[in-house]
Amino acid sequence: MTDLILATVRMAVPLVFIALAELYSERSGMVNIGLEGLASIGALIGFLVTFTTGNSWLGILAGALAAILVNLIYAFATVTLCADHTVYGMAINIFAPALASFIYKAYFGEGSGLSQITLMQGVDIPVLKDIPFIGNLLFNQTPMVYIAFLLVILTGVFFNRTKAGLSYRSVGEHPKAAATLGINVIGVKYLGCVLCGALAGIGGAYLTTCYVNTYSEGCIAGRGFIALAAVIFGRWTGSGILLACLFFGLCDALQIRLQVASVGVPYQFFQMIPYIATVAVLAILGAKKAGPKAKGKPYRREQR
Amino acid sequence: MKKLIALVLVLAMAMSFAAPASAKTYKVAMICDSSISDGGWGTACYNAMIDAAAKMGWETAYTDSIAQNEYFDTADSYCQLGYDLIYAPGNQYTDAILQAAEEYPEICFALLNGAVTTPDKAVNKNVMSLLPDASQIGWIAGALAGLMTESGTIAFIGGMELDTTKGKYEGFGEAAKYVGGLKGKTINLLDCVYAGSFNDSAKGVEFAKAMIDKGADVFFGDASAVDSGARQAIDEANTAKGEIKIYDIGQPADILGQNPCVICSQVTDNSAMIVAAMQAVVDGNFGGTTLFGTMQNGCLSAGRISDLVPAAVQEEYQGYLAQMMDGTFMK
Amino acid sequence: MNKLKKSLGSFIVPVISIVLAIGIGCLIMLALGKDPGEAMTYLFKGAFGSKTNFGRTLIKATPLIFTALCACFAYKCGVFNLGGEGQFIMGSIGCYVVAYLSGIEGVPGIILALAAGAIAGGLWGVLPGILKITRGQNEMIISIMLNYVATLFMGVIYTNWMRDASVPQTLPVPDGVKLSKVIPGMRFTWAFVIALAVGFILYYVLFRTSAGFKLRAVGYNMTAARFNGFPVKRYILMSFIISGAIAGLGGGAEILGTQFRLINGYGAGYGFDGVAMALIGQLNPIATMVVAIFFAALRTGSTMMQTATGVPTSVSDIIQALVIVFSVAGMALTKLPEFENFRNKLFRKGGAKA
Repeated sequence: MTDLILATVRMAVPLVFIALAELYSERSGMVNIGLEGLASIGALIGFLVTFTTGNSWLGILAGALAAILVNLIYAFATVTLCADHTVYGMAINIFAPALASFIYKAYFGEGSGLSQITLMQGVDIPVLKDIPFIGNLLFNQTPMVYIAFLLVILTGVFFNRTKAGLSYRSVGEHPKAAATLGINVIGVKYLGCVLCGALAGIGGAYLTTCYVNTYSEGCIAGRGFIALAAVIFGRWTGSGILLACLFFGLCDALQIRLQVASVGVPYQFFQMIPYIATVAVLAILGAKKAGPKAKGKPYRREQR
Repeated sequence: MKKLIALVLVLAMAMSFAAPASAKTYKVAMICDSSISDGGWGTACYNAMIDAAAKMGWETAYTDSIAQNEYFDTADSYCQLGYDLIYAPGNQYTDAILQAAEEYPEICFALLNGAVTTPDKAVNKNVMSLLPDASQIGWIAGALAGLMTESGTIAFIGGMELDTTKGKYEGFGEAAKYVGGLKGKTINLLDCVYAGSFNDSAKGVEFAKAMIDKGADVFFGDASAVDSGARQAIDEANTAKGEIKIYDIGQPADILGQNPCVICSQVTDNSAMIVAAMQAVVDGNFGGTTLFGTMQNGCLSAGRISDLVPAAVQEEYQGYLAQMMDGTFMK
Repeated sequence: MNKLKKSLGSFIVPVISIVLAIGIGCLIMLALGKDPGEAMTYLFKGAFGSKTNFGRTLIKATPLIFTALCACFAYKCGVFNLGGEGQFIMGSIGCYVVAYLSGIEGVPGIILALAAGAIAGGLWGVLPGILKITRGQNEMIISIMLNYVATLFMGVIYTNWMRDASVPQTLPVPDGVKLSKVIPGMRFTWAFVIALAVGFILYYVLFRTSAGFKLRAVGYNMTAARFNGFPVKRYILMSFIISGAIAGLGGGAEILGTQFRLINGYGAGYGFDGVAMALIGQLNPIATMVVAIFFAALRTGSTMMQTATGVPTSVSDIIQALVIVFSVAGMALTKLPEFENFRNKLFRKGGAKA
C-alpha cells in the first residue's frame, strides 16, 4: 500500500510541474498545447548538462532555460502576432522533440552506448521522516518533490491572496478591462509564457535528472497531454491540479500493479482514464467554471 | 543520376568481363523506427549492420526514428538509390518490406525478427527473415535465473506484445523452472508485463519496483530503454538493502558493468546473420528462406559473467550452456 | 483587383515561409558538412522526380487532404475541431471492422466499408459537439482528449480483440475491398480521387449553396446568426458531425487504399497536420488541398533527401515544423492592423510615383 502511494507520488511529480506550467499560461489567457515539446527539450538539455557537469541542479536550470527559449517563439507568434494558439502549440510539439533528437545525436554520435548520470539524491528530513506511514512518504524524497509541493501552495496563495495574482488572473479573464486598470496585458502574457516554459522544462528535466538516469527519445511519452488534462480536471487551481496529478499518477501506478498481478483487462483502458475523466469533468461542470474566459483568444492593444 | 550511371557502368563491366562480384561495392541500408542512439534495440541493430558491413566491405546507410507511415517510403527511397540490401530490424516493417520487394525484384530485403512465413509471401522471392531463436534466448537467461534466484520469484519486462517477446518469456520460464527444479527450488515466474513502449524508462522503474515488491529477485526483459529504467530501480533497491541480492540479466548486447545489478547478458550477435544475408546477396542465392540465429551458429551466446555469481554456479551454468549447444538441454 | 491582391498576398506568405524554413534547413546541413544543393536536388526528385515518386506524393497527400478538409470545414463553420486524428482513427476502425467482418467484396463492399468509416468518424464528433451546445464547453480540449481515447481504443483492438495471431496488429482487409490504383505504374489509388471529390464538393456546398452560406454565417458571427433566427446549435452539431465524417472517411480510405490494417503508430499526427494545413490554406477547401499536397511532397522529398545524403530525420522534421511556424505566424502578421496600415502606405506611395 505504501509502495503504491510512493509510486503515485513519483509519477505525479513531473505531471505537477508540467500542469502548473499550463496553469500559469492559461491564467494569462494563453492556451499552450506545446507542453510535450517543451518538456522534451527540457528533458534533453537537463540530461546533457547534468551529464557534462555532474550537477543535476545545473541540469534542471538549463532545462528550464532551454524550454523558455523555445516557448518564446510561441509567445512572440501568439501574443505579438496573434497567431492561433493551438496550431502554434502543435508546431512546438513537432519542432522541439526534433531539435532534441538532433542535439542528442550531434552530441553523442551515432550508435553510441547508453549514457548514464547520477540522479539527484533524496534528502530526508530528520525526525519527520520517522513518522510512521506518512513519514517515508512525505519526507524522504528528492528536493524537487518538495519544490513541486511548495510551488502548488505558492501558486494557490499567489492567485487567490495577492494583488499581483489577481491582476495576473484578470488578464486571462478580461484583458481589456485589465488594460484599462493599467495592467500591462502584453507583459503579463509574456510572463505567463516564460513561466510556462520554465516549469514545463523543469518537469521534463525532472524525468531525466531525478527519475531515470538515462535519456531516451520520446521519454516524455504523452505526459504533456496528461498535464493538459490535469489542469482541466483540477479546474485551474493549484490544489486541484495537485489532486488531479495524484489521481492520474495513481491510475498509472495501479495500471502497472494490475499488469504485474495479471488482471486480464487490456492496459490501454487504464491509460484512457485521464482523458475520459477530463471529458467527464467538463461534461458535468458548466461552462462558467471552465477556466479563464479569454483563454485562447488573441488580444490586440488597438481594440478598445 | 551520376550514381545511376556509375551503377550501370559497373553492372555492364561486371557482365562483359564476367568480373568477380567483388569488383562491385555493395551497399546496405537500414530503416528503423527507434533511434540508433537509444542504447538498446536501435543501437544493437545498427552496430550489427556496421560490424557485418566492415567484415564484408560493404557501404552502409541508415534512417532512424521514422514514423509508421514512412516505413515504405524510406525503403522505397533506398531502392531507388540502388542499394543492394535493405535491412529492417523488426516484424513491424513486414508490410512495407513486402510491398517494396514486389516493386523492386532485383533488390534484396532482410527482415530481422521477421516471421517464418514472410519470405514465402514475397512474390519475387527476394525477402529473407533473420530470426534469432526466441526460446534459446529465453533459455540462456532462464538457466542462470534458475540457478541464482533465492526467493524463487523471477520476472520479465516486455515492451510490446510481440511474438518474439512472448517466445523469450516462455523460454525464460521453461529453463528457469527446469534448472531451479533440479536444485529443489519452486520457480514462480511473474506474468509478462508490457510497457506499451520501448522509450518510457520511467515505466521500467515502476514495473521493476512493483515486481520487487512481489519478491522477484532475477530480472530479464525485452524492452530496450524501459529495461534501463528497470535496472536503475533494481540498483536502487540493492543500495537500500546494502547488498546486491536482486539481479538483472542484460540483453541483447554484453552490458556487464553498465549497472551493478547485471550479472550476465544474453548476447544476440545479429551481425553473423547479416553477414550470412550479405553473402547470399553476393552469391546470388538470396531470399525465400528464414535464417535462424541460434547458439549453434554463433548468433546467440551468454556474455561475461559477474563475480556476483559464485564460481561453482558459474561452472554449473557453463554446463547447461554446453547442453544447449549440443541440443541435450531439458531432454 | 483588390481580390487578386488579397489572394496574391495569401499566396506569398506560405511561399516565403517555405523558403525561410528550407533556408534554415540548408544552414543546418552546411553545419553538418552536407551539401545543401545536393540535398535540395534529392528533395525535389523524391517528390516529383518520377512517375512513381509523384504517385508516392499523392498517396501521402490523401490522408492529409481528408484531415485538412475536416479542419477546414469545421473552422469555416466556427467550431474548432481538433479531433481530426481521433475521428480519422475511429473512421479507420469502423471501416476496418465492417470490411473485415461483412465479407462483402467488390464495389458494394468498398462503399459499405467507407460509409462505416464516415459514420464512425461522424459519431466520434458528436460528443464534443453536444458538449459544446449543451454545456458550452470548449470543443478544442475535448476533441484533443478524445484523440487519445481513440488511439488507445485502437490499441485494444490490435493487441487484443482482433489481433493477428501473435503479432500486435490486425489482419489485413480482404483483397476484394482494397482500392485499386488509378493509373498503372503510379501508386496512388482511388482514395486520392475521393479526397479531391470531397474537397470540390465542400467548396461547392460552402460557397455556392444557401446551406453553405448559413454555415459560414454561423462561423463568421455566431451572435448575429442567432439574432437572424438561425438554429445555431443545430448547425454547430451538424458541422461537427460532417467534419468528423470527412476525417472518418479519410481513415477508411487510408485503410482500404494504403495501410490495409490497424497497427501501432497508425494515423499519428494527421489531425494536427490537418489543422495547420487548413489554416495555411486560409480555410478555402481548394487551397487547403493544394497545401496538403505540398506538405506531402515535402515529406516524400525529405525521405529521399535523408536516405540519399544521410541527413538525420530530425532535420526534415525541423524543416516541416518551421514551415508551419513561419507561415502561421506570417499569416497572423498580415492580419495585424499595423501591417495593413503599413501595406496601405506602401501601396499609396507606389501609386503616387506611378
